[in-house]
Amino acid sequence: MKLDPRWSLDMNAGPIFVQIAEGVRRRLARGDLAPGDKLPSARDLAADLGVNPNTVVHAYALLEEMDVIETRRGLGTFVRATAPVAAMRTEMLTRAAEAFVGEVRALRVSARDALALAKEMLDADRKA
Amino acid sequence: MQIARLDGVTKRYGRTEGVRELDLDVGGGEVIGLLGLNGSGKTTLLKLLAGLLFPTSGSVRVLERPARAARADVVYLGEGDALWGWMTPRDAERLFAGLYVDFDAGRFGRLCESLAVPRRTARAMSKGERGRLRLAMALSRSARLYLLDEPLAGIDLLSRERILRSIVQEWHGDETILLSTHEVAEAEGLFERVLYMKEGRVVLDAQAEELRERGRSVVETFREVLS
Repeated sequence: MKLDPRWSLDMNAGPIFVQIAEGVRRRLARGDLAPGDKLPSARDLAADLGVNPNTVVHAYALLEEMDVIETRRGLGTFVRATAPVAAMRTEMLTRAAEAFVGEVRALRVSARDALALAKEMLDADRKA
Repeated sequence: MQIARLDGVTKRYGRTEGVRELDLDVGGGEVIGLLGLNGSGKTTLLKLLAGLLFPTSGSVRVLERPARAARADVVYLGEGDALWGWMTPRDAERLFAGLYVDFDAGRFGRLCESLAVPRRTARAMSKGERGRLRLAMALSRSARLYLLDEPLAGIDLLSRERILRSIVQEWHGDETILLSTHEVAEAEGLFERVLYMKEGRVVLDAQAEELRERGRSVVETFREVLS
C-alpha cells in the first residue's frame, strides 16, 4: 500500500509528526483513503518522506489515540472501520470557512458579495 | 541506554583547538545531526568517538570503554573520496568480509541495489557512485554506533536522496547514528536530535521536533545559531 507521495511537509510549520497525522486525515477526508485500508509501514513511509521512522511511529500513535487507525498485530496498520470520516471532513471545511470569513470581515466586504464570488468560483471549478 | 559519553574533552592541534571542554551524552538508538560550519569541530568530535584521536584532556568513553577499545562496535566513515581505483563492489565485499566479523553480505547486496552502485571499478565511477559504494560498505557492518562524516558532501541531489532513504531503510531503531552534514535542508527530517557546533563547542543541543514546535526548522535554527 502506497500513499500519494505528494506530501507537503513544511519544516517551518510545526512538528513533522503532526503534519503526517494531518496528511492521513486529509487523505481520508478527500476519499483517497477509506476505512479498512492498510497504511504503509512506518519504515516505508519514513523512507518515502525522508524522515526518521520514529516520527512516523509517533504520527501513527497520535492517529490511534484519535481512533482513526488501529494496529493489528502481525498484519500492519489499518484505517478503522469506524473512523469518523464525515466529522473530519466537516472539521476541515469549518476551518477553511473560518479563514474565509475572517478575511471577508477584515476586508469589510458584504456577505452577499463574498458568497457570490465563492459560488462563482465553485461553479467554474465544477465546469472545468 | 548510554552509548557514548564525553567529559570535559579538549583536543588541541598545536595551538588550535579542535574541540573545547566538550560534555556530551549519546544514547542508544538516537539519530543525531552534527551541524556546523567548516572548522567548527565536527570531524574532531567524530574522530574522538571513533578512537582515531586522543583527547588532550578529558575522557571519551564508548560503550563504557575508552573509545579506542570499543572500535569493533563502531563504524567510522571518514570524509573524502578514498577508495582503491581497482576495487569493484565485489572486491569491496570480499575485503570487508575478511576484515570485519560483523560484515553482513546480504545487507551489502541490498544496499548496493538500493543505492544503485554500478558493478564497475571505483576508478570508472562518478564521485556520487563512489560515495554510495563507501556508504554501502560502512552500513553493511552491524555495529552499535555509526559515525558518518559528511556522507552527502559533493554528491549529486539524486545520490543524496538515495543515501538518506537507504539509511532509513537499514536503520533498525537501536543503532546510534551521528551524521555530520552541510546539506541540512535535505537531511533534517532524519534527525531526532541536532547538535550545533561552533568554534569547538556545542552551542545548541536540541530535539528537532521541539524546535519545530516553536516554528523553527532545523535549517532556520542553523542560520540563527551559527550566524
